[in-house]
Amino acid sequence: MNLSRPDRQERLDRLAAEYALGTASPRVRRRLAAIARRDRTVAAALSAWERRLAILAEDVPGIAPPPRVWRDIAARLGLDPEGASRTRMTWWRRVELWRAFAVASFVMAVALGVMEYQRQGRPVAAPLVVVLAGADAKPGLIATASHGERYLTLKTIGNTAPAAGKVFELWALPQAGVPRSLGVIPTGGIVRVPLPAPVDESLSNIPSLAVSVEPPGGSPTGQPTGPVLYSGSIERMY
Amino acid sequence: MSAEGPPRGAHSASGGGSAATQSQAWGDHANVPERPATAADRSVQLAALLARVALADQRAFAELYRHTSAHLYAVAVRIVRDGAVAEEILQEAFVRVWHYARTYDAAKSQPLTWLTSIVRNRCLDQRRRRELDTVSLAPVAEDDAPAWDIAAEGPTPVELLLSSAQARSVRDCVDALDAGPKQAIALAFFQGLSHAELAAHLREPLGTVKSWIRRGLERLRRCLDAAGVTG
Repeated sequence: MNLSRPDRQERLDRLAAEYALGTASPRVRRRLAAIARRDRTVAAALSAWERRLAILAEDVPGIAPPPRVWRDIAARLGLDPEGASRTRMTWWRRVELWRAFAVASFVMAVALGVMEYQRQGRPVAAPLVVVLAGADAKPGLIATASHGERYLTLKTIGNTAPAAGKVFELWALPQAGVPRSLGVIPTGGIVRVPLPAPVDESLSNIPSLAVSVEPPGGSPTGQPTGPVLYSGSIERMY
Repeated sequence: MSAEGPPRGAHSASGGGSAATQSQAWGDHANVPERPATAADRSVQLAALLARVALADQRAFAELYRHTSAHLYAVAVRIVRDGAVAEEILQEAFVRVWHYARTYDAAKSQPLTWLTSIVRNRCLDQRRRRELDTVSLAPVAEDDAPAWDIAAEGPTPVELLLSSAQARSVRDCVDALDAGPKQAIALAFFQGLSHAELAAHLREPLGTVKSWIRRGLERLRRCLDAAGVTG
C-alpha cells in the first residue's frame, strides 16, 4: 500500500492515529513502523499523531521505579551505576590515572621526606606507608604508622567507602599462611585501627595489607568473605 | 571507587528516589534541578541531555533517567499492569536510548514524546503478545503488583486525559468529545486496551467502539490543530 499518495491521505491519517493511540492491530503496527522507516510522509504522519496524543499524557503522575532498574541498566551497558562524571574510556580515565599518579607522588614525597629526616638523624614521622589500591590500580586508602605506635592511621581517598550495610575489614597478609584480621575499619576520612602490639612487632613478616568487604561487625569466619577490594605492599622507611 | 555493590548512602539517587513511591512526572530527587516552569523549558533541557547521551556522556544519561524514569515507568505500569514487566520494559527502553540517542531528531518530536513512544510501543507489543496467549479478554483482571496498585488508585484514564488537556489549555477539545469516545480513547491510550478489549470492557459492540475511536480521534485532531498546540 502506498500510503504517501495524496488520495490516501485520509487513510494514512486514520492508521497513524490508531498507531499512536495503540489500537492498531499488531500486524498493522509492524507494517506501519516498517514503512515509516523509509517513507517520510508516513513517518511524519505517525509522529504528528504521537505529538498530539503526547499532550494528553503529560499529567500522568509519576511512579518512581525501584533503584534496581537503574542498576540493571548500568550493568547491561557497562556503565558506572553511580552515574558519575565518567565517559567510557575517554578523559575520565586520564583523570583517574592522574589522581593515582598524584597519590603515588604524594607517597613518594612523604617517603623521601622521611628518609631525609632519617639521614639527618631526626625523629621519623612515618616509617611505614601502605597504598591500598583496587584491581584497577586506583588507590583507595593509605595506611601509615610510626615506630612504636599501637595503631595504623588510615586515610580514605576520594569517595572510597563500603556499600550500605557493609563494612571494610583490614587484613594483614603474611608471607605464608592465611590472612590475619586487623579489625573493621571505622568509617570516616582519617581513622585509626588499633594494633595488638606496637606496629614493628604486629606487622613484622607482613609484606602487605588488604581490605575486604564484610557484613557489619566484620567477617563471621575469621577469614575474608567479601571481595577483597584493595591491597598494597607495606613500604618501610627504615 | 568501590568496585562492588550499589553506591552507598543515597544510592537510590539514580533510581529516582525510593522514598517517594509516587512523585510528579518530572522526578522528585533532590539533585534534580527545580521542575522547569514550562513544558518548553523541560523539552529544551531534555533535548540537551539527549544530545549529550548521543555522545556517550554517562552523567547526562543518568540525569535523563532521573528526570524521565518516573513518568515513563508510570506510563508502562498503566499499560502492562505488572511492576516487574514494566521494569523490564523501562530497562530495555533506556538501553535502546543509550544506543540510539543520536537518532533523536529535535525537529521532529519533543524528547519526552520520543521517549514515551519507545516505552509505549514496547508495552503495546508486550500486551498484544500476552493477549494472544490468553483466551480471556477480561481487560481489567486485577494484578497485585504494588506499582499497578499505585497507578490504579490514581486518576482514571479519563481524568488523566482531562487534567493533561487542562494543563495545556486544550481541555475544550477533550470536553467536546462524547462520553463513549472519550472513555474509549482514554482507556486505549493510558491502559493499552485493544478494540476487542474495549468492546468487552465497555460492553459495546466492536463496531461501535471502532467508530467511537475513529470519530473521536478525528474530532480531537481538528480541535488540537486549530488550537495550534504541538507536543
